[in-house]
Amino acid sequence: MPVFLSTHSRQALVMIRTNLSSLPRRRAISASMALSVALVVCVLAGFLSMAKGFETALASAGSPSVAVVLGGGTNQEVGSDIPAAVIRTLDAMTGDLGVIRDTGGKLLSSREIVVPVDMRQVTDGASRTLALRGMDLAGPSIREGVAVSAGRIFSPGAREIVVGDRLADEFGLGLGDVVRLGAVDWTVAGHFSAHGSAFESELWADLDAVRSAFDRQGQVQSLKLRLAGPASLTLLRDALATIRQAPLAAVSEADLYAAQSGRTASLIRLFGWPLALLMAVGAAAGALNTMMSSVSDRTVEIATVRALGFSRLSAFLGTWIEAIVLAAAGVAVGLIASWLIFNGWQASTIGANNARMAFQLAVTPDVLLTSGLLGLAIGILGGALPAIAATRLPLTAALRTRG
Amino acid sequence: MTQDNEPYIALGGIRKAYRIGGEMIPIFTGLDLTIPRGDFVAVMGPSGSGKSTLLNMLAGIDRPDGGTLRIGTSHLDQMGEAARAGWRAHNMGIVFQFYNLLPMLTAAENVELPLLLKPLTRKERRLRVERVLDLVGLSGREKQYPALMSGGQQQRVGIARAIVSDPGLLLCDEPTGDLDRKSADEVLEMLRFLNRQLEKTIIMVTHDPQAALYARRTLHLDKGDFIEEKRAA
Repeated sequence: MPVFLSTHSRQALVMIRTNLSSLPRRRAISASMALSVALVVCVLAGFLSMAKGFETALASAGSPSVAVVLGGGTNQEVGSDIPAAVIRTLDAMTGDLGVIRDTGGKLLSSREIVVPVDMRQVTDGASRTLALRGMDLAGPSIREGVAVSAGRIFSPGAREIVVGDRLADEFGLGLGDVVRLGAVDWTVAGHFSAHGSAFESELWADLDAVRSAFDRQGQVQSLKLRLAGPASLTLLRDALATIRQAPLAAVSEADLYAAQSGRTASLIRLFGWPLALLMAVGAAAGALNTMMSSVSDRTVEIATVRALGFSRLSAFLGTWIEAIVLAAAGVAVGLIASWLIFNGWQASTIGANNARMAFQLAVTPDVLLTSGLLGLAIGILGGALPAIAATRLPLTAALRTRG
Repeated sequence: MTQDNEPYIALGGIRKAYRIGGEMIPIFTGLDLTIPRGDFVAVMGPSGSGKSTLLNMLAGIDRPDGGTLRIGTSHLDQMGEAARAGWRAHNMGIVFQFYNLLPMLTAAENVELPLLLKPLTRKERRLRVERVLDLVGLSGREKQYPALMSGGQQQRVGIARAIVSDPGLLLCDEPTGDLDRKSADEVLEMLRFLNRQLEKTIIMVTHDPQAALYARRTLHLDKGDFIEEKRAA
């Protein structure tokens, strides 16, 4: 033990060491406390990683440099309608709208509609509702981080789809496969990747092909525009304000997806936290019981060193640190288990447009930190009362009891 | 300050009662006792006579309800619990009936415990521990754990722990109560040596009349009062 330590520190270190050394005598109950903490950590980490994964999938789907124009007074694609006249007016506008133009001077944009379609899953044969997005040919290139990973993009006017990598895996959609969506057959022309974002949960096809297959002639739900930069959205809004035919709203793609993810992620957390806290209360009671057993097991040892002149503080710290060490062991087990079990786990939920959205659970550092702190709190709170009890042991217990 | 002719330990009019089942049971109702420095006193008496209560009060573990209790210059009856713990650490060693060694510490580490309460360097502590283990005949067993020692050896470790900080007073609570005759005699010889050669004041509670023979005098306690005193021949 270092020379420079004060006598109080030396006392505390001896008590901590003797407590931890005697842990094997209480192997079963100590392990049960650590495991109950690990379980709480796992449950909370599971829910938080689910919320985090959902947020990540949607956040990475949205770019601040892509504007989404919606009509009909809604802030979602479902229910939005942009009249063709509005699009023509916008296309005819000259000057700086904040939108990038192609070499011919046309706005870099994509008219889009989303149609929910049912498709059977390969694994269990169950039918799932997916989002089939009809878009102009510029649609994929407007989006950030999207790349064709196999095959090619759909041809204009053809009944071809390109499928997100995640869906292709899940539904076994290979290149050249023919799938029936609605009343007509579609050929898989390609696969695309989008860094695991929500885009990968969609099927993309030519706008006119989708409109004709689903009897949505002339309909446009949203207009995607490639902005010169995030700050250019204001210019676009100003331009839209001059169009009187219909109420229009322009939001950045990032904001649109953030708003969608925020609601669902909050809901996941709303279920996760109370459950984890309830379990934490149970685990804290378990910790209390374990540490009371520890104090009872070491009554003679604690009373003996106190009779020798050791302080109450050292008795308190010895028991308290033992509880915290056990909780920390539980936290370590819980975090490792959470990482191994949850990180990268494929999950899905009903996302935007009432279609299925797949995402990966993400056990991020902040998820680990939050879950770990809750686990440690169990040890800190559950160990405090027994530690106080250790300071109040009658010293006479040391004098006439077999050690 | 106590004068040389004043007793080292002085108890005057000690009163002590315990509440048992809502009723106050008196243990002492005015106990007087004086012990000079360097004495070796055996305290005997039947169960419930107050031996343990007396020992607890002398150790500062318990406080009298009334009366005065002075050891050296310290008035234990007027000291708070923390002060008594500090006083205990610097002025007294306790030898327990069941040795009360910490099983997960080696013999040397058990003996070192009281020294952790003093501002000593690691080297100073190690030298003191080696010296007292040598004194009690356990040199070379520093790293042995209590579970691997006989009862007599464990009690000698307990004695080494009690004297390692060189206290003036040793309180022994049935120090041979858990030992066979041979081991008991070795421990008692050790205590006599500490009293005669190192001038430790020793108060030993015992049920064993043969153990009491090693003391300079024996006090018989019954119903909270001393009824007989025998001096060694």
